Amino acid sequence: MKKVSIFLLIAALAAVSAVALAACGGGGSTSSPSTSESEGGSKPAAEGEGNEGGTLRGAYTSFPDYLDPQISYTAEGWTAMRPVYVPLLTYKAAAEEEGAEIIPGLAKELPKVTNGGKTYTMFLRKGLKYSNGEPIKAGDFKYAVERCFLTNSGGSPFYTDIIGAEEFAKTKKGGISGIKVNEKTGEIVINLMKPRGTFNNELALMFVAPIPQKTPDEDQSATPIPASGPYMITKSQPGRGWDYERNPYWAKDNGKEIELPSGHVDKIEIEINRNQSTQVNDVESGKLNWIFDPPPTDRYQEVKEKFEGTQFRTEPTISTYYFWMNQTVEPFSNLKVREAVNYAVDPAALERIYTGQIVGTQQILPPGMPGYKKIELFPHNLKKAKELVAESGVKDKNITVWTDSESPNNDAGTYYQGVLKELGFNVELKILNPDNYFTVIGNTSTPNLDTGFADWFEDYPHPNDFFDILLNGESIQSTNNQNFSQINVKPLNEKIDQLATEQLGPQQETEYAELDEAFMKEATWAPYGTRTLSLFVSEDINLETAIWNPTFETELTSLEFKE
Amino acid sequence: MSPDSEIPGAGGVAPRAIPPNGGPGGTVTGDPELVAEIAGDEGGDGQRGGPWAIAWRRLRRNKFALFALGVFLLIVICCLLAPVWAEHVAHTGPNQTHPLEKLHEGNEVKEVVEPSGKAIGPQFFAAGGKFFLGADGHLGRDEMVRLLYGGRSSLFIGVVAAIITTVLAVVFALLSGYYGGWTDTVISRIMDVIWAFPVVLLSLALGIVLAVGGLEIGPIHVKGNSLWIPTLIIGFVYTPYMARPLRGEILGLREKEFIEAAVAQGAGSARIMFLEILPNLMSTIIVFFTLNIANNMLLEAVLSYLGAGVQPPSSSWGTMISEGFEALYNEPLLTIIPGTAILLTVLSVNVFGDGLRDALDPKSKVRFEARAGTADTEAVGPV
Repeated sequence: MKKVSIFLLIAALAAVSAVALAACGGGGSTSSPSTSESEGGSKPAAEGEGNEGGTLRGAYTSFPDYLDPQISYTAEGWTAMRPVYVPLLTYKAAAEEEGAEIIPGLAKELPKVTNGGKTYTMFLRKGLKYSNGEPIKAGDFKYAVERCFLTNSGGSPFYTDIIGAEEFAKTKKGGISGIKVNEKTGEIVINLMKPRGTFNNELALMFVAPIPQKTPDEDQSATPIPASGPYMITKSQPGRGWDYERNPYWAKDNGKEIELPSGHVDKIEIEINRNQSTQVNDVESGKLNWIFDPPPTDRYQEVKEKFEGTQFRTEPTISTYYFWMNQTVEPFSNLKVREAVNYAVDPAALERIYTGQIVGTQQILPPGMPGYKKIELFPHNLKKAKELVAESGVKDKNITVWTDSESPNNDAGTYYQGVLKELGFNVELKILNPDNYFTVIGNTSTPNLDTGFADWFEDYPHPNDFFDILLNGESIQSTNNQNFSQINVKPLNEKIDQLATEQLGPQQETEYAELDEAFMKEATWAPYGTRTLSLFVSEDINLETAIWNPTFETELTSLEFKE
Repeated sequence: MSPDSEIPGAGGVAPRAIPPNGGPGGTVTGDPELVAEIAGDEGGDGQRGGPWAIAWRRLRRNKFALFALGVFLLIVICCLLAPVWAEHVAHTGPNQTHPLEKLHEGNEVKEVVEPSGKAIGPQFFAAGGKFFLGADGHLGRDEMVRLLYGGRSSLFIGVVAAIITTVLAVVFALLSGYYGGWTDTVISRIMDVIWAFPVVLLSLALGIVLAVGGLEIGPIHVKGNSLWIPTLIIGFVYTPYMARPLRGEILGLREKEFIEAAVAQGAGSARIMFLEILPNLMSTIIVFFTLNIANNMLLEAVLSYLGAGVQPPSSSWGTMISEGFEALYNEPLLTIIPGTAILLTVLSVNVFGDGLRDALDPKSKVRFEARAGTADTEAVGPV
C-alpha cells in the first residue's frame, strides 16, 4: 500500500468531514457529485467514467411484496433492498459467477465452521451504525433471525436447523437458544442441530440482515427500517413508490470496510407505474432512468432492435416458471391428472406467449444451476393427456386457476385455463394484482387454491434452493407459504434434508439431478420455462458499468449517469 | 294496454284524469295546452289518435333517430349471432388460444402469432373468415369472435343493469314520493348516500371486492367472474340518478285531482301507485331506460378496463380495450375495433333515446348524464 503524505491525509479527512456534514444536513437536494467512495476508502465493484451524484428515477410495475428485509421474498423486494440492508455475509456486487461469490458483509470475515459443520462463529465489524446513528449490535442479527419467525416469513425455513429455532417458531417466546452473541466483542456463535451445506448462502440472504431490536415484529414496508447499507429509504408509500437517499453513516463508518460499492447517485426515486408501455416511453424520453421490469411483451422486440447495446441488454436468469398443482385437493391429488396437465401444457406455446422471453423447460432445476441435467418426461401430447384424465376417474372437475395481472403472466394463466378446459375441467380464472398475488396464494387458508402460475428465481446458486423451500413438505406453512403444491412426500423430504447437510460436490450434483427427476415423476408442477430478463436504461445512464447480479438483478449502486 | 287507449290502465275503478305531461299514459282531451301542441304537431289533419300513436308519428319523422335505432338493432343482431360466426365461420371459441397455429392462404403460410409475439392482422375472408379481424395478441385468439361475444356481454350488462335500475328506482320513487314522511326521508337519505359517491369510484370499489370474493346473500351465490357482478353493481349505483327525478314527478302527480278522485273512491295505496301514478310516469321511464343503457355500457367499459368489471378471459368491449391497450403501439386495431363498437352502440342508443324523448314528451327536461362520477339530472318535477 502506498504511503500517504500528511497533507493528503488531512485533505482526505477534510473532504470526508465535509461530505458527512453535508449528509447530516439531510433533506436538501444536492446536485454536487458525491466523493464518498474515493475518500471513504471502499472499493466499488463498478466504477465507471460517469458523473457522481444526481437523482436516479426508476419504475416498478408493482410494489414489492414487502419492503421489509425479514419478510420480502421476491426479486422486486430484494433488488429494492439490496443497497439498504447488508447481512453478515453478502454476495459480491458483480455479474455472473463472480456475483455468486460470498463475501463478508457486516461480519468481519467469513464464519469459522467447527464442530463437524454445526457451529458457525464470526465477529461483527466494529463501529458500524444504522442510518439513524444508532450502533449496529451483534444482538441485532439474533433479533433478525427471530423476527423471521415472529413474522412467519417465507424465509424462516432456512433457519429452522438452528438449535432452538423450531421451538421458538412454535412459542414465539424466549429467543433462539442456538444463537449466542457477545455485544462487547461482537462475537456471534450459531449452533446448528445438524450440518447444513448451504448455511453460508443462507446467512447472505436478506432475511437475516441485522436491524434494530426495537423494530416491531410486523410488516414495516410503510415505515422504513433504518439502513445499514449505502442508501436508506426515506419515504415509502406502498402501492405508489419509495425514495432513497445516501446513508450518512455509510461513508463515515460502514462503507469504509465493507466491500460493497457506495453507489453513484445521491438520490433514487422509484414510482409504481402499472403501464409498462408508458415506462418504456418514459425511459426513451429520459423521464425515467431505469425500469425494474422488462419492456412489455408487445414492445420487447421493438425495444431490443432499437436499443440493444446502447440502452438495452438481455440478461439470463436462473429461474423456473411453472404451474403448481395443489396435491392436497381434488383433482390434483390424483397423479394421473397432474401427469395429464404436464402432457397438455406446451412450453413451445408459452415461449410464444412470452414473446421469446422464456426458454421452454420441463423440469425443476434451470440451466446454469449446479445439478441441472436436461430431462423431458412429458413431451407435449394432448391426446395422451385426455386419456390420462379419463383414466383418473376424478369426480371434482371444478378448478380455480390463479395468476397475477402482470403481462404476460396473465396470458399464461389464460392459456393454462384453456388447456384445463380442453382436458374437460370447469375452470375459473382468478387474476390478482401482482402486489399481493404471492401473499394470497401463500396463505393456505385462501379458498380454492387449486392450481396457478408461479415463478422462482434463485436465492443463491445451490440446487437446494429450488427444493427445500418450494418442494419440501416440512416447509409448508400457513402464511407466506412457498410450497404452493403442498407436496409432502416423506422419502423426498428426507433426501432434501440429507443433501442439505452436505457440501456441494459432483456426487451431490448427481443426486440433485435425480431428485429433480423424482419430483417430475410426481408431476407436482408443470414447469414451462426459464426466464430471460433485460436491463433497459435511459440514454444518459452508463449501460456498460451497470451490473446484473444473479441474485439481486440490477445493482442499483452500479447505475451512474454518463458524463 | 293499447297505446291508443283513451283510458290508461285496467280495471277502471277511478276515471283517469289527464296526465300532467301529456304522456302516453293519459288522455289528450282535457289539457288545452297539450291539445294545442299536439294539434300543431300533427298539422291539424285530424289524425290525432292516442298519445302513443302521436309519439310514434313524431318518432317516425325523426329519421336520424330511426337510423340510430337501425344501427343499434344491427349491432344487437350481429352479437346475437356470435355463436353462429364462431362455429361456422371462424371455427374457434372466444377464449380459445392459437399461439402456434398457422394459416394457409393459397401457397402462403402465415403464423397467427409470430415468434416476436406480434399477432396476425385482419384477414377478412382470405382464410375463409378465420381471423377476420386478426388475432388479439400473443394468445392468438380470434378478434372478431371475441368482439361479437364481447358485444353480448356489454349489451347484456347494459340492458339488464338498466332493467335493475328501473325496477329499483321506480319502486323507491313510488314509495318515497307517494307516502312521503318518514318513508320519504329514509329512502331519500339512502339515495343521497349512494349519490354522494362518484359513480366510477363506488362501482370500482364494489367491483374489486366482489370480483375476488363473489357475492353471497343467503342462498344466492354469484361467482366473482360472473357477468352478474358488474351488472348488479351498475344497476345499483345508477338507481338514485333515476329514482330522484321520478320521485320529484310523483310528488307533483300525487297532488292532482285524479289521485284525489281515486282516494275518494277508496282505492288502496298499491293500486294508486301502480295503476294511477305509474302509467303517468311511463314516458319518463322509457326515456331514462334507453339513456341508461348507453350509460351502463360506458360504465361497464370503464370498469372492465380497470379490471373491476367483466373478468378475463371472458370478453367485453371494455376488457378488449384493456387488453388491446397493452399492444397499442404495434397493434392499434386491437383497441380501435372494440372502441369503435362502443362508440357506435352508445351513440346509436343515445341518439335514439333523445329522439324517443322528443317524441314522447317534447317539453321534457329530463337529462341523464352521469359521467366520471358526476351527475347532472334535471327532472320534470321538484327533486
